[in-house]
Parts: sequence; structure tokens; C-alpha cells
Amino acid sequence: MTAYHRPTDLDAALRLLADTGATVAAGCTDLFPATDRRALPGPVLDITAIPALRGIVATPEGLRLGATTTWTDVIRADLPPAFDMLKEAAREVGSVQIQTAGTLAGNLCNASPAADGVPCLLALDAGVELASTTGTRRLPLSAFLTGPRQTARRPDELLAAIHIPAAATAGRSRFLKLGARKYLVISIAMVAARIATDAGRVTQAAIAVGACSATARRLPDLERALTGAPATALAAHVTEDRIAPALSPIDDIRADAAYRTHAAAELVRRALTDLSPQEAAA
Amino acid sequence: MAITLNINGRDYSIDADPQMPLLWAIREKAGLMGTKFGCGIAQCGACTVIVDGNAVRSCNTPVATAVGKSVRTIEGVSENNDHPVQVAWQDLTVPQCGYCQSGQIMSAVALLERTPEPSDNEIDKAMAGNICRCGTYPRIRAAIHKAAEMSKT
Repeated sequence: MTAYHRPTDLDAALRLLADTGATVAAGCTDLFPATDRRALPGPVLDITAIPALRGIVATPEGLRLGATTTWTDVIRADLPPAFDMLKEAAREVGSVQIQTAGTLAGNLCNASPAADGVPCLLALDAGVELASTTGTRRLPLSAFLTGPRQTARRPDELLAAIHIPAAATAGRSRFLKLGARKYLVISIAMVAARIATDAGRVTQAAIAVGACSATARRLPDLERALTGAPATALAAHVTEDRIAPALSPIDDIRADAAYRTHAAAELVRRALTDLSPQEAAA
Repeated sequence: MAITLNINGRDYSIDADPQMPLLWAIREKAGLMGTKFGCGIAQCGACTVIVDGNAVRSCNTPVATAVGKSVRTIEGVSENNDHPVQVAWQDLTVPQCGYCQSGQIMSAVALLERTPEPSDNEIDKAMAGNICRCGTYPRIRAAIHKAAEMSKT
């Protein structure tokens, strides 16, 4: 039997992690399928009994999403419209049973290029809080994700929380995912878009694309073109040359690179059409 | 390691590795065989049980995480197979081979407890995590509507 640790407070968890280098387990929805044995390869540090790591709370700087907050928690939480995209993504993660178990931090630490939560959290300007026995540090999510299945987390660090700055909780948002079928599908391309407006002008445009590069990416050229523009017919600003430079799609069994770029542009167009004010009034 | 699991309202004292999948604790330690092993990699939903009111896949849930919680399996849905979902399942002869059906029923029960009158779309979304190789999906959807109807009266 391999060691299975299930501490109830964060300090104990951090000490165990520093001492044992254990595999961190939360919802286990990726861990169990990744092993061909009937048990997890140990030692394991199960962090789901630590109350301080779960839940969504307001902070002076914005919102704090605890590491073991599940997708079902996100769906049921009372959050501003800027988080609609995260709720839409939450409903696309696996199935209902997976949404009950799977956690936000697991989605980030597993670091799949096709992780549904990542484009939304990028468009919310998310930062991650990494805790260890030597202290905590913060990284922008874009710096935390360093490649496919790769993150900046040290083996002795725990992703304790995700922080959303107050400024990024403004506006309305939309998440769209393209897969080969409707449910239980790994994305070919997905888009998260958040648009804030004031007096008929776009004040913030945050748009991210997932599954079309090693890690999900924001689209700075398109965001610049949108910022300050009239808040109507937003999709007219979408051109492939404002999207393609930020992406580096691969050919794989799900789609080829050219199709992914085309699909990403079309998803951005549809998301922005949904977020254009005349659509809201319709 | 000694573990106490509350399944269908009854406490079971079992000896199991804390990381043992809940599925095996239910089947081999508690001896409740209604919950099925399908794929073992969280793809099919045959092993679905309800933990604290939410549907989960027991094949990828460590038994340690279910301690102190209320676990419901197909055996605990009703005393006499007369839960509205079970009655609707029988009336519409939903199962064909039957292997996935205890998981299907647990997902349907969890859905109706939160959403008493689900739309087709809500049913499809809630049931997407339960695969049926016989293709009984249209009858499953019809039976969930029927169970919802029966529960109203």
C-alpha cells in the first residue's frame, strides 16, 4: 500500500508536500485514468479535506477562487456576468459526474492545451497563488502555464487559489467550444471573450483561444483593435491576421492546423456577435 | 486501514486502502453488487453513485473522500423498487442488456432531485456522462419525463 495523506489544514499539507514530494490529488478525474493500476501510484497528497482551499470569496482586490472549487461549485455560484464564460465552460467539462469531482486547480495543474477553464481564466486576467513552506508567490496564469502538461509549479508548491482582479470582473462574457460532437468531447478550438463597454464604446476587450497552441493564448492584436471602438458589430473587427499570429495550432487526430485557425476565427466572430449590444436587445 | 462508509443510510466498517476507488469498496468490501464496473477510466458512467446529493463516478473517487459523506447506490434508491424513476424505467422497458442501467438510474435520480421538471436539453446534458451501448437513450429520456410527471402527483 502506498502512502495516502489527507490532511485537514494547509500548513500540514505543505509540510507533507515538502517532505514527501507526493502527487497532489484533488478530483482525481485525470489521475485515475492516467494510471493503469487499480490504485494511484503513491505517495498521494489528497487536498480535498482542507476547507480553506475550497470556495469563491470576495477579497479587497477582487475574487478568490479556491484550488479545490469544483466545476459544479462554479455553476451554482452567484457571480457577475463577466463569469458567464467560466460557467459555460464548467458545463462543458466532461460530464455532470466529472463536474462534481473535477477542480479548477486540477484543470490548471494538469495543463492540457485543451483545458476548458484556461481561456476563460486568461480572459479574466487570472493570477495563481502558489504556496509552500517557504512562503507564497503569485504568477499571472499566462506565466504559470509554460507548455503542454507543463507549469511553473515547483514540486514543493501547491496551487492554493486563483485570483481575479476587480477590474476584470466587469463586462459580459461568452465561451464557445468546437468539438466533433456535442458532449464529452476534447476541443478542436475554443474561445472565451469578455467585453466591457461604457457610453457606447468598448472599454475592455479580453479574448482568449484554447486548443490552438501549446497553451491557451490571448489575442492582443484583436483586443487593441476592439478597445475604444463603438460597441456595435464587434465581429466586424475579426480578421485572421489579427488572430493567427498569436496561435500555433498543431495537426492532430482531431483537426489540422489550418482548420483550427479558421475555426478559432469563426468562434471569435460568433462570440463577439453574441456580445454585441443589438444581440442583447433582440 | 479501517474506514467507516455510510452507504444507503447504513454504516459499513471496512478495511481498505484510502485510495481504493469507491467502486471497489462498495462492491467488494460492502458487498453491494448493483454498482457496475464499466471502463474503469471515468469514461462510461456505469459506476455512477450519488455522494452528498451529487452524481459521481465511483471508479475514480478515492474511498477516503467519501468518509463522513452520504453515499447512495442503486440498492438505496427505494425499499421496493418503487421510486418514480424505477417505476418509469419498468413501464417503458428502458433497459436492453441492462449493464449500464444502475448508473443511468443514479444520474436520473440526481437530476430530478435538483431539477424536478427537466427539459429535453437538461436531460441530455445531465445524462451525457452515461454511455449505453444498446442505445436506449430515447427511452431513458422518455422515462425521465414520465418519472417527473409521476412525482408531481
